[in-house]
Amino acid sequence: MIGKIVKTSVAVLMGASVAYAGTFNTQAEKDRQALVKYMEKKFSDPAKNKQFFPYASAEDFKSLRKGVKFEEFRLGSYAYDKQGRSQYEEINEMPPYEDAIDAGEELYNKTKGIKQCFPDPAIAGEYPKFDEKKGQVVTLSVAINDCLKANGQKPWKLTKGKLADLEAYFAHMSKEAGKKVNITIPSKAAAAAYERGKKNYYSQRGYLKLSCATCHVQGAGNRVRREVLSPLLGHTTHFPVYRLKWQGLGTLERRIKGCEKNQGENPHKPGSQWMSEMLYFMAYMSNGLPVDGPDIRR
Amino acid sequence: MKTINRLVTILGLGAALSIAAAAEEVTPMVEEAAKLDVKKVCDVKANGLEKVLAVAEKYNPEAIKLGVEFKRLGIRNSVYIKGLKEAIKAKKPEVTLHYKSKGKEKKKTFKTDYAAWRACTFAVRSLQQVKEAQKDYHLAIPGDGYKF
Repeated sequence: MIGKIVKTSVAVLMGASVAYAGTFNTQAEKDRQALVKYMEKKFSDPAKNKQFFPYASAEDFKSLRKGVKFEEFRLGSYAYDKQGRSQYEEINEMPPYEDAIDAGEELYNKTKGIKQCFPDPAIAGEYPKFDEKKGQVVTLSVAINDCLKANGQKPWKLTKGKLADLEAYFAHMSKEAGKKVNITIPSKAAAAAYERGKKNYYSQRGYLKLSCATCHVQGAGNRVRREVLSPLLGHTTHFPVYRLKWQGLGTLERRIKGCEKNQGENPHKPGSQWMSEMLYFMAYMSNGLPVDGPDIRR
Repeated sequence: MKTINRLVTILGLGAALSIAAAAEEVTPMVEEAAKLDVKKVCDVKANGLEKVLAVAEKYNPEAIKLGVEFKRLGIRNSVYIKGLKEAIKAKKPEVTLHYKSKGKEKKKTFKTDYAAWRACTFAVRSLQQVKEAQKDYHLAIPGDGYKF
């Protein structure tokens, strides 16, 4: 009898582990679908879903769009912020990031090794990746610098400048090719990195005790001073961005640094395991959305 | 039977290791800080400046190690602690903090008592948050602890 129970238990456990081995993204996919469901419900009719907007005034509700669908979240807060959207469309008539795309193309063609490392420039939707050899997450910024170092060159700054220009070119080429965000979780180690990234995203930190989710999941669509908060869904699709505040182009790492400062904590280093794993989680949440960068933001 | 026993042991060990990996952030010092009453241990009037500074000096290095050090208006907690130490040594009623923000050298002055309270609470709270996050972060995840 005991032998039978042990045999059955082992068979179940082995079956489960084999099934698990084939689908390392099971949990991530559950998380992503729940996030999409949450965002679509929240913005189906904000005025009717007041529980999601506890501090919103009647005026605030007037400026929020109804019936926002999955694909529109690639635009960030401009998916639902009517006023922001009209300003965004106006500025985009003469996009200030076009020079950066040209500069990026030149860097792609003239920088030693870059073309060999990235033969297809339409790769913006595939990063961050889990590098099985290194056993860690590699963001596009880190991959570019690894390539430079492998070719005997000095790495670039991970937040702006040449690296942002090259990423603008990659994003532009990906958008032109109609590429979508396609982050993979190929192993158990990658799934663990995803889980750590998720924990980093949802943990409250800093003297203000805010998590990223406070503003960009539960807070998405709510107003902080004049700004309507953007959603986690679609956050990574449009980087690098030309921010009016920066008066220039910046990478996702630069934006995360700024967010961490606002939370009241000493920001993690761009390229660190902590930040890369969080970006891995964030990018996975945008899986299936079109790559929409480079873009502009306030 | 031996093979089955081995398999069960391996699977059990694997599960235990996964749980250990998930809890790796909670270090003994985090556990220790989690038990503290911040209002009591950082009370300058009741404990004196030196004792409050000692609490901040004890816990902030762990916060740096875990990547959770607080920073307010461009000033890291370690800058508060450094300035505070100098002010206590020189018996000054005010602490002048020198720090860099956006590449520029800046300075700010605080009452010594206030700087001590802040350095201490920042050091202890940063570690307490690590412990709190361990169970609380699920509550914000749609489809997990966050119901909508």
